Amino acid sequence: MGDRSRHTVSTAVDPTAVRPPIHDVDEIVRTTPGELRDVLQRLKAEGYAQLTDLGAADYLSREPRFDVVYHLTALPTRVADVAGVGRPKRARVLCGVDDGVPVPTVCDLWPNANWPEREVFDLFGISFSGHPDLRRIQMPADWEGYPLRKDYPLRGPARDRTPRPPFANKENVPSRVPPTGEVAELLRMEILERMRDTGSNEGES
Amino acid sequence: MSNLPDWISGAGNPPDIDPQAMVAAASPEVIARGDDEMVLSMGPQHPSTHGVLQVVLGIDGEEVTHAEPEIGYLHTGIEKSAENLFWNQALTVIDRMDYLGPITNDFAFCLAVEKLLGITDRIPRRAQQIRVLMSELTRITSHCIWLGTHAIDLGAISPFFYAVDLRENILDLIEAASGARMNPTYFRVGGINGDLPDGFLERLDELIAKFPGRMRDLRDLLQQNPIWTDREIGVGVISAEDAVAWGLTGPSLRASGIAYDLRKAYPYSTYDEYEFDVPTRTEGDSYARFLVRLDEMEESMRIIRQVRKKLEPGPVMVDDPSIALPPKPSIAVSMESLIHHFKLVSEGFRVPPGDVYAAVEGPRGEIGYYVVSNGDNRPWRVRTRPASFYNLQALKKIAAGNLIADVVVMIGSLDPVFGEVDR
Repeated sequence: MGDRSRHTVSTAVDPTAVRPPIHDVDEIVRTTPGELRDVLQRLKAEGYAQLTDLGAADYLSREPRFDVVYHLTALPTRVADVAGVGRPKRARVLCGVDDGVPVPTVCDLWPNANWPEREVFDLFGISFSGHPDLRRIQMPADWEGYPLRKDYPLRGPARDRTPRPPFANKENVPSRVPPTGEVAELLRMEILERMRDTGSNEGES
Repeated sequence: MSNLPDWISGAGNPPDIDPQAMVAAASPEVIARGDDEMVLSMGPQHPSTHGVLQVVLGIDGEEVTHAEPEIGYLHTGIEKSAENLFWNQALTVIDRMDYLGPITNDFAFCLAVEKLLGITDRIPRRAQQIRVLMSELTRITSHCIWLGTHAIDLGAISPFFYAVDLRENILDLIEAASGARMNPTYFRVGGINGDLPDGFLERLDELIAKFPGRMRDLRDLLQQNPIWTDREIGVGVISAEDAVAWGLTGPSLRASGIAYDLRKAYPYSTYDEYEFDVPTRTEGDSYARFLVRLDEMEESMRIIRQVRKKLEPGPVMVDDPSIALPPKPSIAVSMESLIHHFKLVSEGFRVPPGDVYAAVEGPRGEIGYYVVSNGDNRPWRVRTRPASFYNLQALKKIAAGNLIADVVVMIGSLDPVFGEVDR
């Protein structure tokens, strides 16, 4: 478990900066929220008609903390056969953004940015200025915190808030070790109660 | 009779009732009601929504004026889980995203990690061929479930049995190879878990022989059926331009006329060695998506037949002891193998830092993984490009102007899988 906590607060901050030459996309652009829309508008004008994916990554101790990642594909916009599609170019745009800084929305450039931007907002807490409908999409509306942030524990606050019987708490029942003390007593009482219930039912019938 | 109120038999007057309140009590799915318009909630437990989708529909009479799908009912934090597992362990949760096409999920993730490791060119040819074989089998199983459930949504029960029977034959093969039917986790970073078992190819031959007849049955049941064509043709039309702008991929995009298939556009593994067509239609309606998927099943079988012929003997795992487990029997006789096995299983392997995007053509479209490594034995970030997430979003675009009953047709023809939409 010590290994896991070390992983959560790892200091290897920006893997994308030490990237070995992997040719997985044709063009990689690094930008800031201020220039993002200009960059994306230019790329769209160059023929990147599809916003293939929009996601984010949290680098925790890096400045700026987050990357919002756009993957674009230069698909034709009218009927095309296999030769007409060919090998469409791909681009990746990485927009570094700090906690609390809004990123301009691209819903007007690509309508399908609506949901993924909501998802990034929901899971990372990065807000998008100008988004038509910015609310949580995957988590319940009253959820607290942003689960995909690196400082969000794997077992979140909601788990602690949920009332559960003492013997269901994992700390009280170490794996494969029979429970002792108060927990054992509770379990024993519950089993006795259940036996009593079934006994009385049988008596009635 | 004595239990009935008096006013039913004509004695006395019925009590004052508020019809509005009665309707509200009897139909909790009505969210709001105006003079002409009503806002109706469809799902999340509606049988035709293929899982847990809620669609908030604005309706004017029978006509849909707007549709807003609400997702997230099946969110299980798979991306977060994957960040806390070893690279190979992450495959077990990634398997469970698109549970109808688990093998294609693993395929994309393995390709991404292999790119980071720089071993893409060293994957043995037999492993690549088996990967292709398995993904095509998965594509057929996935399309079988799509066809069966889509037909049931529209009231045709029989195709489900024919489709699921075919799917069972294929699942038996997948089970024989991997040990599990639904979530096989057959692939590993660097190759596949184990070679095909004895007798697999003979059973595959049986399937190949059975397949054309079964496809003919499925086509006969639906393709020219006037009820089916009435329900499907002209419903949920999306133009080529809109399909691209809304991020559609896979059969849904190809039904709008754009022959974009990742197996042709960016051939991975050994896809450039097989002859196959990319089925395309230009109508962009539900019937076109139906036909494209049916044709695709036949093209998949065409690829499977070619892989069957070209399958080469050889290893199925990359020759790199830092990634691949030693052969299981050697553990019993060699101390070094046992230590090697123990180290890999308990600590995993480290992946050089960097970020990469890799995608494959899944049954529903482009499944991609944007994977970031910080040099550790666990991924730093696993971002999925979920095909049905983007496909389903287009329902907002195509639903307006259709009838309520057609919403079911459109959801079915977009073929969402909620394990993947919600992750």
